[in-house]
Amino acid sequence: MSVSYQPVIWNRTKIIYDAVLIVAIVAYVLIFLKLGPMLSPAMAETNPPILRMRAFGSLALILLTVVLAIGPLARLDVRFMPLLYNRRHFGVMTAIVAATHAWYVLAWYFAFSPTPQLLALFTSNTSFAQVSGFPFELFGVFALTILAVLAATSHDFWLSFLSPAIWKAIHMSVYAAYAAVVLHVALGALADGRNAALGVFLFASLGTLCALHLIAGRRERAADKAGSPEVDRTGWIDIGDVSEIAENRAIIGAAPGGERIAVFRSKGKLSAISNVCSHQNGPVGEGKVVLGLVTCPWHGYQYRLEDGCSPPPFKERIRKYRVALSGTRVLVDPEPLPLGTRLEPLAIPEDTLAAPAAPSGG
Amino acid sequence: MQRRHRRAHAAIWTLLAIVLPVALAVIFLSYPRLSRDAPAIRLDEPGKTAAGQS
Ligand code: FES
Repeated sequence: MSVSYQPVIWNRTKIIYDAVLIVAIVAYVLIFLKLGPMLSPAMAETNPPILRMRAFGSLALILLTVVLAIGPLARLDVRFMPLLYNRRHFGVMTAIVAATHAWYVLAWYFAFSPTPQLLALFTSNTSFAQVSGFPFELFGVFALTILAVLAATSHDFWLSFLSPAIWKAIHMSVYAAYAAVVLHVALGALADGRNAALGVFLFASLGTLCALHLIAGRRERAADKAGSPEVDRTGWIDIGDVSEIAENRAIIGAAPGGERIAVFRSKGKLSAISNVCSHQNGPVGEGKVVLGLVTCPWHGYQYRLEDGCSPPPFKERIRKYRVALSGTRVLVDPEPLPLGTRLEPLAIPEDTLAAPAAPSGG
Repeated sequence: MQRRHRRAHAAIWTLLAIVLPVALAVIFLSYPRLSRDAPAIRLDEPGKTAAGQS
């Protein structure tokens, strides 16, 4: 979150995240190039430039698999949430590794091409009519192009310039890139039938990612369907019991249209705000109140409880909702207030307050 | 907004979970194989194709 756009706003967490990532990448490449030939006779017989392109190619597949698994894992288990924090650096790193693989391919296979290397890449194999021998390189080029565009537009400047909805839509093309990578590997690196480890990893990657995304999606659908019950045809919805809300935490309900609403409890008062973060639609209600500000668990954007606005000089805003208590039941008017509307948090009466809050999750 | 995004997400992954395994099956079944009466001693390594180089 920043007022002006800086290339990267570094902090300790980001530095540690990136350092771990870089060390893991270097370790993988070194193990592949140094240990691989010692352990596998087939790798020992392979030319070093080919080994290098395989090291970076397989690493790109691994990184892409991990980066695509982070989202659903964080939805299924909050312990994976820290991985989300700097996921875009992970994505940029994946694009760099994939580009290195492509660079080695061009430098080796097309080094002595009479035509320019890129032209040769597109014209040397035109067996489009057959599956085996299909120019699999094109799938790689397609995937790399998408990864490069996503890396280039990963900065918050583009998020704000394009609007979160359009930015998110563009960034969903990473799934097309993944599909292209799967086909690129299956038609290319696996075609000689000698790379069993890569074959096993490809199937494991595809199976795991499909299962994770479908399970996480199913959970979300169930939550959408459950919705929050309407109270006596007043239009207001019953979100839950005040005792379910831990101090500085929220419970989340769903409006009839499916929009999720978070009700926070802080210092004996209740505030209802949209569960959708204005940054990247993160689940604000899964965050907590830090120093009086609701803090999104994904990247730490903050909002004031009374009006849903980020504190100055920031300009982000999310919607506020009216909240009421009926006994110990928390009711919310699912009709959002205009952005920026100030509504003082609702004080919980003394006798209701006596009921203990749910234990805080930390 | 969040709901539309979730729906698009579910549709994409359902599609990938169907299309990619089928595509992989087709690809693996169409890899060249030696015919049954191919000579036992060969100069080329079995199954090695130009496509398998990278
Ligand atoms: S989604 Fe990034 S801070 Fe909320």
